[in-house]
Amino acid sequence: MNKWFWLFLAIACWMGTGFVLFGSHQETDRSNTSLSGQAERIVSMAPNLTEILFALGLEDKMVGVTFHCDYPPAALRKPKVGTFWQPNIEAVIAAKPDLVITLGFEQQRSFTERLERIGFNCLAVNVETVSELFEAIDRIGTATGKQKEANRLVSDIQKKLNELTVLVGREDKVRVLWVVQREPLRVAGRETFINEIIELAGSENAIGQTIYKYPPIGAEQVIASGAQVIIEPSMTKEEVSSQQESAIQYWNKFENLPAVMNHRIYVINGDIVSRLGPRLCEGVETIAKCIHPELFRE
Amino acid sequence: MSMKGQLTARKLVIKVTVGLAVLLAAMSVCSFIGSEKVSLQAVLDGFGRQAAVNPDYEIFVRVRLPRIFLAAIVGAALASSGVVCQALLRNPLADPYILGVSSGAGLGAVIAVISGLNWTFIGRSPISVFAFVGALGTVWLVWFLGRLTGKFHIIGLLLAGVVVNTFFSALIMFLTLVAKSQQVYATIFWLMGNMVEENFLVLWCGAGCVVGGILVLFYIAPQLNALSFGEEDARSMGVNIGRTQLIAFGVAAFITAIAVSLSGLVGFVGLVVPHGTRLVFGPDHRKLLPLSAIVGATFLVVADTFARIVVAPAQLPVGVVTAIIGGPIFLILLIKYSRKVSWLK
Repeated sequence: MNKWFWLFLAIACWMGTGFVLFGSHQETDRSNTSLSGQAERIVSMAPNLTEILFALGLEDKMVGVTFHCDYPPAALRKPKVGTFWQPNIEAVIAAKPDLVITLGFEQQRSFTERLERIGFNCLAVNVETVSELFEAIDRIGTATGKQKEANRLVSDIQKKLNELTVLVGREDKVRVLWVVQREPLRVAGRETFINEIIELAGSENAIGQTIYKYPPIGAEQVIASGAQVIIEPSMTKEEVSSQQESAIQYWNKFENLPAVMNHRIYVINGDIVSRLGPRLCEGVETIAKCIHPELFRE
Repeated sequence: MSMKGQLTARKLVIKVTVGLAVLLAAMSVCSFIGSEKVSLQAVLDGFGRQAAVNPDYEIFVRVRLPRIFLAAIVGAALASSGVVCQALLRNPLADPYILGVSSGAGLGAVIAVISGLNWTFIGRSPISVFAFVGALGTVWLVWFLGRLTGKFHIIGLLLAGVVVNTFFSALIMFLTLVAKSQQVYATIFWLMGNMVEENFLVLWCGAGCVVGGILVLFYIAPQLNALSFGEEDARSMGVNIGRTQLIAFGVAAFITAIAVSLSGLVGFVGLVVPHGTRLVFGPDHRKLLPLSAIVGATFLVVADTFARIVVAPAQLPVGVVTAIIGGPIFLILLIKYSRKVSWLK
């Protein structure tokens, strides 16, 4: 019994020492102290955030972007600090940023906490809906001293969106099936920002309420959806044409679906619709062109 | 067995000391390997200064060292827990996750991510707290179900573990489908095993729990030796089977749960390191336990360094690396040593 006693005593002492050494030591927390200042060295942790920063004219102050930040093309020349999903904290620190802009969901939230623990200035924004996009642009503008530019960017986007919705609002609602992946077949459900874009483009989601955000569906539901238009975003710009061919082949098995009968299957560049950023209007317009081609003929 | 030779305290101390020296050497070498170059001079300059901008110091002391210590702690925990599981279940496929730790922890982590909780408990995020509770809860459930099938029924315990694992994995899949796609990605990396730097208090307490647990297991190593021959033999040697099993499983589950809550589900270490160590050093648990812990720590430190640099400046989840470099190493050991070792037949 003696050896057990000494072991547990040793463990207890070890733990106690730990709390004495590190327990009271509050990590330096410099977050949220100078968020309205003039950031001079900015790191962006997501492609859509990079697009926002470029749109605000902050190109010269950006010292780090992710691997996936490929728009505008100038972003490709910026130093890389890892990927969107697997950020490299060492590379971020080495970039000596005074502001790191991240997205507010789980993977990046813990990353943000780690950076703040070391003492870096972070701004985490949520960009999952169109209204959140406007809010994010506003907060980034405040944090970087570009308030005026941010206001202008938001009102530009809103103005263009309004024009588009007015244009397509006169037409009948078209039922759109938004295909995320073919094998197994998964589509965008109602609780997604894709759904929001679909509705902005003057159409409605052919799939009703589901528990899944991106529900896997079977042939029965495809037929029942009565989709008039099928839209598939491609993974990359280069794949659009090859995917268009395979899409037509794939969907031929549903020959009685209105979208297939009327040859209304479109493959579009996924980048502009999967990123909620300043190019939102381009995305909505691309979709609107698929849905109401007659409006854009002239 | 051909690797005869009486184990003396002196031999054991020498082996463990050499092992620890190798581990320390690996840790110091790995701490100077990374996607960013760090100069030792700049790091030393950073000590004792407050809030000066010194990226070298920040990277080395605040990011790289904590991560290397974390890898060592997790590797030691998984490897020694794997030794115990293989001994008690007398099954070469057993690993620390076999009794439901992985799926229980995974379920906890997924629930934490989906519920979007946002608080910390001694510097731990909801994910790790939920994973820890899920892991221990599931092991208890499996143990309880196993007991229902008979008092020392290994097959019952194993099957209960498999079924609970499968059931919880299905729940995880269901929940990830319901979740937003971004949340799902966050859990995928966790499920693959992912190292990040931790604060010093967490590392200190984690190290205390894991080393303490390994010492407890070392105390009962003679009983584990007896048990690995079979329960009948162990009973005839006067081993209290129920008590040994309870302590061994309890401690193994505890240190595995700590490892999992620190770094997600790092695979392969708990399966392959005990086998490799046993092939090279023999099956006596008095040396197998400490040596496996040291080998596991070294292995994970090296694997995590690969994870940091292979696709730099991006990073890989360490679980991917452990399988890719661990598999071939293990096969070489298996072919080289298996002829000498009788228990493989």
